[in-house]
Formats: sequence, C-alpha cells, structure tokens
Amino acid sequence: MSEFLRSWLVLVVFGGLAVAVVGTFLGLGSLLRPQRATEQKVMNYESGVDPQGDRWSQSNIRYYVFALMFVLFDVEVVFIFPWAARLEAYGMFGLVEMAIFIFILALGLFYAWRKRLLRWI
Amino acid sequence: MFAQAETVATPEVLWWALVPLLVLAGAAVLLLTVASLVRRLPEWLPAAWTIVAGLAVLVSVVPLWNEVQDDGARSFLAGAVGIDGSTLFVTALLAVAVVATALLSRAYLTREDLPGVELYVLLLLSAAGGVVMASANDLIVLFLGLELLSIAVYVMAALHLRRIQSQEAALKYFVLGAFASAFLLYGIALVYGATGATGLARIAGYLSTTILLEDGMLMAGFGLLLVGLGFKVAAVPFHAWAPDVYQGAPTPVVAWMAAGVKAAGFAALLRVFVLTFGSWSGEWQPAVWGLAILTVLGGSVVAVVQTDVKRMLAYSSIAHAGFLLVGVQAASDRGTAAVLTYLGVYTLLACGSFAVVTVVGGAGDDRHGIDAYRGLGARRPWLAGAFAVLLLGQAGVPFTAGFVAKFGVIAAATEGHSYALAGIAMVSAAVAAFVYLRILVALYMEDRHLEDDDEAGAVEVDPAPWGPRIVITVSVALVLVLGVVPGPLVDLAKDAVPVLVGG
Amino acid sequence: MSVLASASPTFPVLPALILTPLFGALLVVLGPRRRPELLKLTAVLATVATGALSLWVLLAFDAGGEGFQFASRHAWIGELGISWLFGVDGISLFLIVLTGILFPIAILATDPGHDSRAYYAWMLVLEGGVMGVFASLDLVMFFLCFEIVLVPMYFLIGRWGHGNRTYAATKFFLYTMAGSALMLVGIVSLAFLHADATGGALTFDLVAIAEAQSIATETARWLFLAFALAFAVKVPIFPLHTWLPDAHTEAPTAGSVILAGVLLKLGTYGFLRFGLYLFPEATHHFAPVFLVLGVVGIVYGAVVATMQKDLKRLVAYSSVAHLGFIILGTFALNTEGIEGGLLQMVNHGISTGALFLLVGMIYERRRTRQIDELGGLQKSAPLLAGVFMVVMLSSIGLPGLNGFVGEFLVLVGTFNAHRWYAVVAAGGVVLAALYLLWAYQRVFHGPAEGDNADMPDLCLREGLVLAPLLALIVVLGVYPKPVIERMEPAVDALVEHIERHVDGFEEPTSRMGIDISPDGPLDGPADSEEGH
Repeated sequence: MSEFLRSWLVLVVFGGLAVAVVGTFLGLGSLLRPQRATEQKVMNYESGVDPQGDRWSQSNIRYYVFALMFVLFDVEVVFIFPWAARLEAYGMFGLVEMAIFIFILALGLFYAWRKRLLRWI
Repeated sequence: MFAQAETVATPEVLWWALVPLLVLAGAAVLLLTVASLVRRLPEWLPAAWTIVAGLAVLVSVVPLWNEVQDDGARSFLAGAVGIDGSTLFVTALLAVAVVATALLSRAYLTREDLPGVELYVLLLLSAAGGVVMASANDLIVLFLGLELLSIAVYVMAALHLRRIQSQEAALKYFVLGAFASAFLLYGIALVYGATGATGLARIAGYLSTTILLEDGMLMAGFGLLLVGLGFKVAAVPFHAWAPDVYQGAPTPVVAWMAAGVKAAGFAALLRVFVLTFGSWSGEWQPAVWGLAILTVLGGSVVAVVQTDVKRMLAYSSIAHAGFLLVGVQAASDRGTAAVLTYLGVYTLLACGSFAVVTVVGGAGDDRHGIDAYRGLGARRPWLAGAFAVLLLGQAGVPFTAGFVAKFGVIAAATEGHSYALAGIAMVSAAVAAFVYLRILVALYMEDRHLEDDDEAGAVEVDPAPWGPRIVITVSVALVLVLGVVPGPLVDLAKDAVPVLVGG
Repeated sequence: MSVLASASPTFPVLPALILTPLFGALLVVLGPRRRPELLKLTAVLATVATGALSLWVLLAFDAGGEGFQFASRHAWIGELGISWLFGVDGISLFLIVLTGILFPIAILATDPGHDSRAYYAWMLVLEGGVMGVFASLDLVMFFLCFEIVLVPMYFLIGRWGHGNRTYAATKFFLYTMAGSALMLVGIVSLAFLHADATGGALTFDLVAIAEAQSIATETARWLFLAFALAFAVKVPIFPLHTWLPDAHTEAPTAGSVILAGVLLKLGTYGFLRFGLYLFPEATHHFAPVFLVLGVVGIVYGAVVATMQKDLKRLVAYSSVAHLGFIILGTFALNTEGIEGGLLQMVNHGISTGALFLLVGMIYERRRTRQIDELGGLQKSAPLLAGVFMVVMLSSIGLPGLNGFVGEFLVLVGTFNAHRWYAVVAAGGVVLAALYLLWAYQRVFHGPAEGDNADMPDLCLREGLVLAPLLALIVVLGVYPKPVIERMEPAVDALVEHIERHVDGFEEPTSRMGIDISPDGPLDGPADSEEGH
C-alpha cells in the first residue's frame, strides 16, 4: 500500500471507530430502556412546541426566488474578498476586472428587478 | 502586515484570439441589458441580434484560422487558454448552430406565443461556454466552460412554460447533468492528485516523461472524466437523460443540444483524452472502445422501437455519439480529423432534422408521433423531400455528407486496427437505417390509407416560416454538396487537428 | 499502371454514361409535375441516350485489347487517395450494355400511375448508380455506387409496388445494407494494409491493389469474407435469398425488370471483380463453399419455384436457380465457367427481364398473378403466348436460344473442375423445364373462362418493347461468338491472375477435349485449326 493511501487509513479507522462507538451506545440504549410508546412520545420534537400540520408542509414558493438570489450574491462575495485584500497589488487591472464582474452581477439583479421578481406579489 | 504595493504580474492576454468568445459573451450581456432597459423590444430584434453575433463569430474565425495555420497554435492567460485549429473549427460549428437555433427559435417562440429574450441570451451564453471548452488548456477552465454551457441549456430546456414535459425535461437534465459535473470535477481532482497539475500541457508532459509506479488514482481520474464527459455527449450507459430531454425540451433547443452541446463535448473529449492523455492511450482506449460499442448498438437498437420521432432522433443522436466515439477511440490524428468532420456534418444534419420537426410539431409542439408524418410526401413534397435527404444523410447513404462522416471514422478505426469496432459500428448503422426507413415509410408509403379517411388521419402541417425554411434549405443543400464534394470539409478538419502548447 | 493505359479516347465516355441519366433525373425533377407524358419522354430520351453511349462503348471496344479500356481518373478526396476511376474490360462491357438496353425498355413498358416525376427521377438515378458500379475501378467509388443503388430501388418498390410493398422495400433495403456494412470495413482495411505493406500512399485503386497482392493470406481470407457477404446478399446466394421473392413480387413491373436484369448482377459482378481479382487465394480457398451453395441454390430455387401459386413469385424463384448457375460458373475458376457465368448474367438479364415484363402485362390486363385464376390465355392472346413461350424456352436453356450457351459453358466448366457439382446442377436444368413448362401449361393452355376469354392481346407498344429482347434472345443463342470474343481476353487474364497468385493452382481445363474458345467448336471445329 502506498504512503498516500496509508495516510488515509487513519481517517478510515477514525471514522469506523466513531460509527462503532455511537452505534454501540445507541444500540445498548435501545436494548436496555423500557419501550412503552404513547402518542405524545412518538410525536416529532419541535423545540418543545406542539407540531402543526403535515411534516411535508410546503413553504411559500415566493421565498424561493429570494433564497436563490441570496445564495447567488452571497457566493459571489467570495470572489471580492481576495481582490479587496490585495487591492493595490492588482492595480488598474484588478479594478477593471472587478468592475466588469460587479457590472454583470448588477445586471442580473437589475434584470430580476425589471422582471418584477423582487416584489412580493 | 500590510501588503507592499508591489504589483502582481498579470498574465498575457491575446485579445485577438479571444474575439469569438468576447463577441458571444458580450452580445449576451448587451442583449440582457437592452432587454432590461427597454420594456417592449420589437420581436425580431433578439433573434436578429443573435444571428448577427453568430455570423460575426463565423467571420472572426477566418482571420484567426489563417493566423493559426501560419504561425501555429498559441496558449495564453498563463497557459490556461489555447487557440488552435480545432478550437476554431468547433467555434465555427457552434456559431453555425447558434445561427440555426436562433432562426428556428424566432419562428417557434412566435408560434407558441412565448416571451423571447431569455432564450437568445442563454443561447449566446451557452455558445460562449462551448467556445471556452473548445479552447480550454486547463482542466479547471474546461470545467468552467462546461458549466456555463450546461447551466444555460438546463434553463433553455424549461423555456416552454406551458408544457409540463418541458419542465420535466429541464429538471431531469439538471439533476443528471449536475451529477455528471460532479463526476467530472472529481475526475479532475484525481488527475491533479496523480500528476500535480491541471494544465493540459503540463499533465501531458508529466505523463509522457514520468513512470508511475502507482497509477490507480490516475486511472480513477480517467474513468471519472470519461463518465462526466460521457454524460454530456450522451454515451451509453450515461444516456438515460437524452430521450426524455429531447422529447420534452422545445425543439429548437433540442437542435442546439444535438448540434452545439455535442460538438463542445467532443471537443473536450478530444482535448483531454486524445491530446493530453495521448501517451497513455493504451489505458483508456479499451474503456472508450467499450463505450463506443455500447453507444452505437444501444442507440440504434433502442431507436427501432420508438414511436415518437423526436425520441427516435434522440436515440439516433446517441448512435451518432457512438460513431464519434469510434473516432475518439482511434486516438490518432486521422481519428481526430474524422471526429471533427463528423461533428461538422452532424451539426448540419441535426439542425436540419430538428428544423423539420419544429415545423411539423405544430402549435403546442406536441405532434411528434410518427403519425404526424404520415403522407407528408404527398401533401408537402418539398418538406418531405428535405427530411428524406436529411434522414438518408443520417443513415450514411453515399453521396450525402453522412457517408463522408461515417467513412472517416471507419477509416480511422481500421487504421488503428480496431476492425471489430468498425464492423460493429457499420452493422449498427444498418440497424439504425431501419429507424430512418420507418420515418421514410410514413412520409411516402402510407399515403394511400389517408385518401380513404382524409379527415380522420391527415394532420395539416402549417407552411414553414422563413426561419426554419432557411435552415432546412441550407442544411439539405450542404448535406448534398458535401456528399459529392467532401474535399473542402475533410481538408479543413485535417488542418484542425488540435495542438497542445505549454504555458 | 500499364493495365490502364490502353485506348484512352478523348471523350470521357464512362463518366458520360453515369452523368447522362443523372442529368436526365435533374431535368425530370425540374419538369412539370402535371405532364407525365413529358416526363416520360425526358426519361426515355435520357435512357436511350445512355443506351446509345453504351452501344458506342461496345462498338469502340477493342476486342483483342488487354486490361481496362476507356480509363479515366479524377481525384475525389485526395487526402484519402480516393478518385473517380473508371474503366471497362470484357467482364463489365456487356453488363454495361445490358443496363443501357434494359432501362429504356423498362421505362417504355409501363407507366407508374401516380407521382410520375419522382418515379422517373428515381429510375434515372438508379441507372446512373448501376453504371457507376460496373464502371468503377476505385474501391470506394464502387462501394458508393453499390450502396446508392439501394435508395432509388427502395423508393421504387415502396411507392409504386403492389400489396405488401412497404415490407418488401424495407426488407430489401435492410438486407442489402447490412450485407454491405462489413464490406466498407473490408475496403478500408484493405487499403490501409496495402499501403502499409507497400509503403506507398493510401490508395483505393482496384488495379494497383489487386496486382500487388500485398496482403497476407490469412488476412486476405477475412477480407474476402467481408466482401463476399455483401455480394452474397446482393446475388442472392441460397441462405441469404429471402429478400428476393418479396422484393421481386411486390416491385412494380419496371422495378422487377431492373432488379432481376441488372441489380442481381451487381453481386455476381462483384464476385468476379472484387472476389476473384482482388483475393485469388481466398476465392480458391472458399470456392467449395460457394460451389455447394450455388448447387443448393439451383435445386432449391427450382423446387420452390415449382410450388409457387403466384406467377411473379415463380419467376422470382427461378432467378435464385439461375443465379446459382452463375455462382457455380464463377467459382469453377476456369475460363469456360467464368465465361459461362458472364454470359448467363447477360442472358438472365434479358430473359428474366422479359418474363417479368410479360407477367406485368398479364397483371395489367387481369389484375391477378395467381396461376389458378389464369388459364387458356393462348386463345385470347396468342401473340403474348408465343412471346412468352420463346422467352420461357430461353430461360429453360433450350439450344438455339441464348440461355443454352451460358448454362452449357457453366456446366462444362464445372464438370472440368468438379464433376459431381455439374451432375447435380444439370438436374436443375431439368427442374427448370418442369416448373416453367408446367406454369406455361396452366396459364396458357386449357379452356379460357370468364375474363381470361376476352383478354386483349399485345398492343403495338408492348410488341415494340419486347422485340429487341426477343431479337437478343435469338441472336445470342445462334451466334454468341462476338460476345465471347470480347470476354475472352479479360477472362483469360483473370484466370491467369488466379494461377499466378495461388500456389499450386492450375486452371482445371477440359480433360474431355472440349475447346470452347471463340474459334472453337461452337462455330464449327473446322476453322479452329486454321485460326491459329
């Protein structure tokens, strides 16, 4: 076995150990504890509040657009940080590059706005 | 702690070599800007804009081609992007496919009463992604291009808002495509792990100079890359998405998928496997060999039992992918040239065929059963005649461009002594011919039944708008002309063999 | 190559043979859709012009000349070494002439009834393709023409055929296409192997490859099988023949005439040109297989034909038997056998073509081809019956008519090479007499009842169409010398080629002293000595 694969062996052993330990404790627990199910007991745990409605409740589709756009712009920020950290080093080149980048991003937002996606209908 | 004001060396950029990409991406951004600013765009404008952009790319390729032929291939952007004959050849094919798709889309959107700008913006972006793939000199850039290409196509597949099949197609394509991207990315990671580079030239250099004692990771990387790209080009057994997506997606988009996406996918396959992993061809050729056999046979045999013409063409496009893989498998210059020739021919055949399907599909885009084609030869002789030529071309009948394409890959396979593969490919071509014959039978030989119950059986086909008409006419003419005078295309493809330039 | 050098006229007559019908097809396509008579005139003129060209080739052909005449070469795909390369020798000459003669007759004989424009266009394309097959000396060009022939024939059967035409057309197309699929691989492999072996550039030139014989024996056998499959389907040889009865029966009359007269010869011609010439050793090696299949075809075709209820199907199965003779002669690998096979190709084209025309004429009058429903036609149509009788006797191989010469030579050749095959095959001749005479008796003799009683006789047009075929039947039967004379040098060269390239093979010549050379006993033993 190569050195490369051997170093991964640690991870495999570690992971296996973790699964084994947790499995053992949960398994033992389920064997030892008394099992008298009532409706209250099998009910889903929702922070102590009584659960309402179906488990597969739909959230409003209108959130979807906002969620999507949030994720989009959130991720793009990742590209802006490194540039900001080395602003001077990149100089004019970086500035133009980032301007184009932000322009395209803004264009997307602008398009969404004109398509009336930002309005809560 | 503060950074010194030393400047970072920015990579050299050959702007002239980026013109096709910039035209496509710029046209997309501009079109989106204009569409956002102006409330009511004239309906013809986005289509015309896209066609102009496509033609501009086509024109810009010519001086670049001459430049590359005279001074050789280049690489720039720190060796991440290259320009060579194959880049420009595939770029030109993509431009042709963009123009054809735009011509079809205009007629389609009007007929289906759908809002228009997005399709063209996405088409241009997708084509830009294809160009990036064709010019990628680095696996990461290749992946970027692939994603740009694919994500745009996912959305395009869903653009028929009122057809549930269109939504279904988009979702299937998206989920499976995302899977494929993950495979590809993992493959890139493994190859990087094995060779310590993502640049194609450096990988190639490493592989041809180094003897690996442990090649397990590299092999896994090859495998995963093959799976990822195999998904994109719809090679059996990674083809499951293709029939459903082709059937459901708007027909002009299908033309783009068949012509554009396939061309870009094979450009990537050629660059990565034939070019970069060329020195290890003994290791991956058997895999491609198997893939090619499965794909030609699977595509042809399953196509036989379809009753929906769009599905038939989907399976036949799988079979064509198999033929292209036969060329890839040869792993030689002749094989590469054959694949490029085949791509050129298939671009024409796919655009033309799906143009006919667009016309026959009628309002609602759902008359795709073989019944819709029954007796078309009597009622619409020119349309049926054009479709017949295109189908015979797809069957590879002599004196159509399809034969030249098939001949090229078969020649490449036999040169590489893959006689069994060549034989199986030809036999399955004969099986696939049955599919095209079934459509021909419907077009020409079942018209007598209709005379009895004309009202019940005959589906009236609206006259073709000028957009599809241009696409059909040009593709039929070229299929015939290239069938009789194939020299120019074959020579171009021969000069378009890709070259790796280190960076 | 010296083989190509002889007699190159200034006028490129062979390309013209191919292009004239294609040009005619273009005219027809552009012609007026609602004027079928004009379209027919165009088609007839184009085919007659082609026929005249083919006759000119026949007259200008140098009977004693060796190698290919009228050769011409134009590059097609230079990169792959493919070129338009044409030439004629004694083997292809008469097939070209046969094609040139049969097409105008087939077009004149019948009208399509509907979609005339497409019909004539396809007929003309078909003629161009067939001429291309017989004239091509480049392997790829040959394959292109061999394959393109399928398309017009497919449409002719499928659009203008009878009842089960779609099935028959599809079967025909798929059988033939699947058969020739491997031939393309064979052609390309052959060219690459030849280029590797000789170190020269890639070429698909038949003569260059055949004369070099650079392929290893074992490989050549495999390649031969790839070619042979394509030809065996096209001929068709016994187990691969099932497309033929369907295609012949369902095709329109003109389609049947061309199919039987010309298209089947593509396969037998292919065996001669691309089997014997390209792969002499492999042909010799596999000859027993084909001899057996040829004999089986003769007997099987005859037996099945005897049992047919449909007159057209009967003629179709008789083709299977006749083609068995051609295969037998070809694989006897001696001059008599090959010449007999060649003659039989021409004769079968003429007499079976004429038989299909006659069956078509009966069908047009009576709307049935069932032998049961016909009867006593001799009384209502004596002329038709007479013509039918002559053609049928020629098909049986009655001495004095053309069928005899070919079959006789085939039997002589086979007898010299493989005695027992000839004995069994001779039985096939008897069976041919049985099924054809019996059919004739049931159709033309006996009392005429119902519609049979007042069936009109041949009209002038039909008579004129049949006249040249009848003339050929008699002339070729009585005086075949000019034909054999022109075949002889090419066939001799072919046999010599086989002898040269097959170790220990010597032409199985007549041990019984039958000399069938043109100066031989066929036209009197007296002048045979004086000639030399």
